[in-house]
Order: sequence, then structure tokens, then C-alpha cells
Amino acid sequence: MRALCLLFAISASLCAQPGPRARQPIDPAAAARGKKTYLQYCINCHGSLAQGTEQGPDLVRSVVVLRDKLGSALGPALQKLPNHKTDLTQAQIVDLSHFLRDRVEYTAMNRHASRPPNVLTGNAAAGKEYFSAKCNECHSPTGDLAGIAGKFQPDELQQRLLFPRRKPIAVTVRALGAPPVSGTLERIDDFTVSLRDAGGEFHSWKRVAGVEVEIKDPLSRHHELLDEFTDADIHNLVAYLETLK
Amino acid sequence: MKFVFFAVFSVSLFAQARLDPAALLQPLASSWPTYNGDYSGRRYSALSQINASNVSSLALAWVYRANPGSDQAGGGGNVPVIKSTPLEINGVLYFTVPDHVWAIDARSGRPIWHYEWKNSKGGWHIGNRGVGVSGNWLYFETPDCNLVSLNLKDGKERWHTEICDLDQFYYASVAPVIVRNHVITGVSGDDLDIPGYIESHDPATGALQWRWYTHPEPGDPEAQSWPNVEAMLHGGGMTWVPSTYDPELNLIYFGTGNPQPVIAGKARKGDNLYTECIIALNPDTGKLKWYFQPSPHDTHDWDAVQTPVLFDGEIKGEKRKLLAQASRNGWFFVLDRATGKSLVTSEFVKTNWAKEVNEKGQPVPNPRKEPKLDGVLVSPDQGGGVNWPPPSFNPETGLFYANAARAFSVYYLYEDDDKPEGWGGNDRGGWSEAMLQAIDYQTGKIRWSHKWPGNGGGVRSGLLSTAGKLLFAGDTNQNLVALDPEQGTPLWHAGLHAQMTNGPITYELDGVQYVVAAAGDSLYGFALNSAQR
Repeated sequence: MRALCLLFAISASLCAQPGPRARQPIDPAAAARGKKTYLQYCINCHGSLAQGTEQGPDLVRSVVVLRDKLGSALGPALQKLPNHKTDLTQAQIVDLSHFLRDRVEYTAMNRHASRPPNVLTGNAAAGKEYFSAKCNECHSPTGDLAGIAGKFQPDELQQRLLFPRRKPIAVTVRALGAPPVSGTLERIDDFTVSLRDAGGEFHSWKRVAGVEVEIKDPLSRHHELLDEFTDADIHNLVAYLETLK
Repeated sequence: MKFVFFAVFSVSLFAQARLDPAALLQPLASSWPTYNGDYSGRRYSALSQINASNVSSLALAWVYRANPGSDQAGGGGNVPVIKSTPLEINGVLYFTVPDHVWAIDARSGRPIWHYEWKNSKGGWHIGNRGVGVSGNWLYFETPDCNLVSLNLKDGKERWHTEICDLDQFYYASVAPVIVRNHVITGVSGDDLDIPGYIESHDPATGALQWRWYTHPEPGDPEAQSWPNVEAMLHGGGMTWVPSTYDPELNLIYFGTGNPQPVIAGKARKGDNLYTECIIALNPDTGKLKWYFQPSPHDTHDWDAVQTPVLFDGEIKGEKRKLLAQASRNGWFFVLDRATGKSLVTSEFVKTNWAKEVNEKGQPVPNPRKEPKLDGVLVSPDQGGGVNWPPPSFNPETGLFYANAARAFSVYYLYEDDDKPEGWGGNDRGGWSEAMLQAIDYQTGKIRWSHKWPGNGGGVRSGLLSTAGKLLFAGDTNQNLVALDPEQGTPLWHAGLHAQMTNGPITYELDGVQYVVAAAGDSLYGFALNSAQR
């Protein structure tokens, strides 16, 4: 649901952050030391990512861990729980707290990719065939797309193939008793339309009876393709475009 | 077509600010005393002074710009966004942004009082849906997990009580709904794998009356919709949007949010009940009456929390008590609200993720459209065919209206291990077009569709229907628009300084009908001048 944050917020800071504002800062050095402690004493039951095994619960989802502040909950829990290491020093507990907090924060942020997705899974030959059949009318591998793979990473190629950046939209307005005016669309809604002509002049009209608006969006074919592409088409095309170094 | 009028709210015109709880079961009259105006969720007003014949003369009466005056005003020092639906009670409007409540004069837009929840301890400040009112008291939720009760007349705090755990990354944003002696609250948050729930609190003290988790109990037949108890107890299903209520059946209705982990569903195979469900509960006991799941095993963040709208009508010649929802996944559902039985299932925008509709009336996800490491093209996008902004149902036209979007994006899986947690993926990029859809509830077919010209992208404004044969909506171009509800023809508009950000309301005072809508940090009030009334 909170995707709305990205879609709608006036700025990213409008979204504040999840969880408490005063949260435990993670000391990377302490987290690294805590990881060593974890690997020595905890990993067998709680797993390599602290997400639990059949022998021990998930610590990223643990309310004790989530409420812990520098060992405040972790220390007492270790003393109370059976079969746990009870002689860790306070410094070791604090380090362990940093490590587990790091796992929690990583999980809370993993809607963001830690590395670009590998999208080169298609068949370049099939992509070339698709390109020749459907794309050649507007694009050329030796023209506008020459060297395109050198300009963009594969995942960006995939995105631009599907969702090209907006281009100026051509519009012609015909009002009764006046010559048609053509230019680049500035704004249109149900009530007004405006454009800037080739000379840079701004024009606007009320959209009333007798005012006709003709719009030519250069990306309209791309929008239609969204209903036509199969996912295999997309992956094949990206594989082909990646050959255009 | 004959509709049985659905019992709802009205306000007794007390001399004080008081809202008589006993009056809440009367038909909606001249006020707007709860999030949806009445319990039904129709957002339909019987007021008709502003109507199709004079709406061209509708003019600005006042503007109120909310100034929280602090750096925690729902925006970390930035401009606040009013996403709440104001309540209008006895000439006063009550509305919110996160951590803030205002009371302003509904006739003039002049401020009466402003309450700030100071020293917030955190939580997402993305939006707040508004307040609930009963008697002399106002209720609202804070991002740092508190239910707060204020005195209606001066905004002085009476009490506050914790309704969720900030340490677990819950937060609170829902407008409480008052059902007799119950203050119904919901919770928000989907960063970590935590269970959703809905609660009822004592209006006088805030004490917890009951809590209902949005998952089955271990051992329940529905628990088999999860691979194991741990996945189920950490399976999400937040209660983001206010409930509707049928006093005759004594049931509240609400939708539940996405399952967790949100995108990477590998370790939660199954339908994942009761996430992305429409739920009917007894408000006195918190006991489940029935459920219907619009999105089994969702992996696209398509919460089914959109307002379940209640009305009575005919399906195939039989009179029924109905519930309708235009869901975020792009599908429209009509149910029998006494039983939860599916009556109509249809797309209200074209989608590409379902392979069939099963015998229960549910769209069945196509596994090929689950997020993949190399990306999969999905429609709708994460924003959905609709989102949280409220729809409207007009009993005169028999049409259900949704401010919708047709959108595409690519869903990527980022976490491919056997037990992903959190989100484990996301969608990216996209193209969309926005349109207002009028849906025939009897067939699920689109009666008319009005595409908003210009800017693509979704709309984030709700809808209002009136007996003046008008449908009010926000477009994608910062306009508040009045349309003919039969044909979808725009009849009037007002350009605002930003895109509309809430659901518009209407009320009447001193013989003057007002329409009020929010855009960004401002509330705009419109009315006819005296010559046009």
C-alpha cells in the first residue's frame, strides 16, 4: 500500500520512515563483530540470515529483536531462554544487537534492488526477428539505435523499450473561422488546450463546440505494444538490443 | 429499478458541537458526519440545490490553507497533503494531516482550533484519512500508533491509547469509524512481515474491546491457505481504509491489505487468507461472519482495502442486500452482503494477470505474471486499477463510479532464496492512462468511460454523487470536475492549485449547499451565489 508514498508524495521526506524515529544506529564495525559472534553461537539454530530454521525461530521477525535497543531486550532474553549462550559479555551482546538490527533494516528496505536485475535471459535471434517484423518501421539498428547497448545497462534498455521517455506531442487545433494552428502540446484537459508553435508563441483555446483538437503522440505505438508484448518478446528484444554495442 | 433506501446517518442540529450517537442511524441529510458521509460508503448525498441546471454557476466560496506550523506536519517540514475526508457537523469541518487536526468554520473556512500531536515518536507520515466523531468527542490515529480522543468544541485532548507497536514498524493512518459504543480502528505498515488486525475501543476510555487478526487461527480450515503457521502469523493484511456498516445485519465491512512478504511469495504458497479479502465482522464481538477474497495469493501489492459500498438492489430479478467493491487489482465485485456470496465479477479496467474466474467468483492469478528475476510486464501496476480514494454509488443511476487507471509496470523479484522476507522485489517504470469508469452493478459492464485527457498517471481523488444529478471528481489536471452521472459528460470545473487529494463532500447550511474538496495543503469550498439558488 505504501507504494503511494513514491507515487504521490511531494517529496521523499514526506514519507518519513518506518518504525520509531529514534532507532538504534548501526555501527558497521560492531555489526561485523556481532556477525562473528552470531556465526559462532547462533547460526546453527537461527540460520545464516537469522531468518530461522526448524531448530530456532526467525530473529528478523522476533518482537524481542525489534524492540531491542543495544542489547536491552536481547541480553535478558539470552539469560532466560534455555540452551542459549549465557556468558556473552555486554560488549558482545551490543555487537550482536547491531548485527541483528542490520538484518532488520536490510529486510525493511529490500523493496529496493541491491543490484540491477539480470534481464538478459532472452534469445537475441528471436529478438532480432521480432524487431524486423514490428520495430523496423520506426527504428534502425544502424540508425537511431546504433550503439544503444553501449549507452544503457540491460535493465535500463528493458525499461526504455517498454516505457520510452516522453517526447513532444504534436497537436493541431482547428477553431471555426480561423486557420489551423499546429505546434507542441503544452497542456490539455476537458476544458482547455494549449500549444507552443514552431516560432515559440504560446496559444490556448477553450474546448467548446467548433474547436477541434488533433493529437499525434509519437509514442502511441509503444503504448499499444504493451497489450501485444509477451514477456518472451520483451526478453528476446532486450537480448537483441544488447548486441547493438 | 427500485432501490431500498439504506439507513444511514444524519446530525441533529444541537446548539453545541455535539453529534448525537442516536442520530447516526438516520438517513444522510444536510451534513457529512463520517468518513463516507454515512455508513453505506455510497458517498451519495440527497442534496440537490446544486444541480445539473445551475452547476455552471458554482463558484468559490472560500479557501483554507492548512499550516501545521511545525516540521512534523505530515511532511517533515514540507507542504502537508490533505488526504482526509472532512466531517461536517453543526457548521464545523474537522479534517487532518498526519499528527494534526483542524476545526474550521464550514460557512467561511475560517479556523476555529488546531490540535497538534506533539513529539511524535515516528512512523510513516504518508497520509491520514481523517477523524471519527461521536457525542462531544473526536477520534483520530497518529503515525506513531496512537488513538487520540479530543473535545469536539476546543480540540483539547481527553486521552490517547496505543493501538499498534512502532517497534514492529506498524503505523496508524485510518479514520476511526464509530458504531454505537465502538470506535473501530485499523492499522498500517508493510515494511516487515507483521500481521494486520482491526480493533474496537471504548469511546469513553479508549480501552480495547476486541482485536481481530486478519489471519485464521492455527487449526482453522482457512489456515491451510498458508504453508505453515509462521508464514501465516507474519502474513500482513493491514486494515488501511475505514469500514462500512449495515445496522440491520449488524455487520461492519472492510478490506484487508497485501500479504507479506509483498512481492516475493515463494514461502507463502496458497491463497493466504485473510489477506486481500473483503471481511464482514460483528462489531460487538469482533467475530468473523464471512469473507471473500478478490486477490488470492497476491504478489503485486494490490490491497483489497477499497471501500466496500453497501446498497440494496436487484440481481437477476431478485432483491438483495448488496456490497460492491472496485478493487485495486482492476476487478469489480458484487456480493450478497448477508452471506458474502459472489454475484458479479468483472474487470473495470483491462488487466493481464488473471487466467480465469473460478466458481467462487475470484480472478485466479496466472503464475506467469508473478514477479520474476528478469522482470514481467503486469497490468495494473502497483498503484492499481484504483487505490485508496473512495468510489461512489448513485442509487438513481444504479451506477458504481471509480476514478481508475489503466497502468503497466515491470515486476522484478530481488530475493530468490527459499524464505524471502519484507518485500523481496518491486515494480518499476510504467505507463498509464486515467479514466472515470461508470459500472453497471447488475452486469459489471462499463456503462460509460470518461478518459481524462492529458497527463497520464493515476488520479488520487475520490468521488461524490448527489441527487442534483451530478458526479464530482478530480481529474489528472488539477481540476475539480462535475459530470453528468448518466453519460459522463463534464458540466463544470474549477482549476485548483494542485491535483485533488481527497474525497469531495457536500453539506447544506442556512439554505446554502456547499461542495468541499482538498488539493494538497488546501481545502476549497464552493457554493452558488444567492441569485442562482
